[in-house]
Amino acid sequence: MDKKVITRITVVSFIVGVMIAVQYNTVQMPTTRDTRDIWEIRQELSEEKKRHSELLSEIATLSSVVEEYENNDTESQAQILKDTVEELKQRAGLSSITGPGVVLNIVPAAELLEMGFQIEPISPNLLIRLVNEIYRYNGHFIEIDGQRLVHTSAIRDINGKTTVNGVPIDSTNIDIYIITENFEKAEKLYSYLFASAFRDDFYLDNLSLVINEAQPSITVSAYDGNLSNTYLVENDKGE
Amino acid sequence: MWLPFLGLLLGLALGLLTDIHIPAVYENYLSIAVLAALDTLFGGIRANLQQVYDDKVFLSGFFFNIALAAGLAFLGVHLGVDLYLAAIFAFGVRLFQNIAVIRRILITKWEERHIKKDENAV
Repeated sequence: MDKKVITRITVVSFIVGVMIAVQYNTVQMPTTRDTRDIWEIRQELSEEKKRHSELLSEIATLSSVVEEYENNDTESQAQILKDTVEELKQRAGLSSITGPGVVLNIVPAAELLEMGFQIEPISPNLLIRLVNEIYRYNGHFIEIDGQRLVHTSAIRDINGKTTVNGVPIDSTNIDIYIITENFEKAEKLYSYLFASAFRDDFYLDNLSLVINEAQPSITVSAYDGNLSNTYLVENDKGE
Repeated sequence: MWLPFLGLLLGLALGLLTDIHIPAVYENYLSIAVLAALDTLFGGIRANLQQVYDDKVFLSGFFFNIALAAGLAFLGVHLGVDLYLAAIFAFGVRLFQNIAVIRRILITKWEERHIKKDENAV
């Protein structure tokens, strides 16, 4: 081959190599860039720290239960087991529970009622939004018009009626009981709900959300339906 | 003979080591340009093997093809028609044809060399 030709081809293949490498670099570059500033990162860090401490306290509780199991004789072990079952039942919503919390009432807006406005029952969307806000602000156990909310509860429209757990709720006067972890959190929940903007959304539906002050002790009833269990299987007893 | 290959490796190494990036918007253009450049490269090798190599054709083809492909892609983006597909198709087909021709020529050369060797042995 002619020497000149080889030089030319070499130069061209060099350029091709550079182009391929640049293309490769560009494709490999992550498309989303980290644009957070230091305060946003700090905030995220603090959230993770909070989660960390929550997990640590949970671990501490569970390990104290383990310690009780290990240290006690058979009879009190049965008692501890019963306590655990009771606690889990409470958390799943199968037993009634008493604690500090907040009571809400949803009533028709009085001034609109006087003007002759038609009062429509509360829409499922609005109720779901309210429940989500409550959970966001650390509400633990919720009862809506006598219906305890559990992890499988559905709030939906059935034949034009708003239902919770499949049971239609009163359209004109709904009581909502919320239990929180402690009284301080109940007060916080009260302040959050009082200050939040979604009370205006109730007014759009001709309803008004009455938020009562935090109370040291209210009772939320148990879930009266059946909780079906798809994945866990009962072990053989007595073995 | 191995010089072009060395050039390619050198180019790859240089590009990877310098860590150059181009904006993601121009990624399409570069990929088409790479295809055009490869097409010209193999075209040049084939022409050289067929003894019809011309310096002017090779170098003008290299730059003109790249410019044309990028221009076609640019026009396609602005007209809303995927014209870059035309470039990819044309260059892809030519690339395969060129490589096929190069392969045939190399095989023929190899066979001729074998035959000569056999004759010498006899």
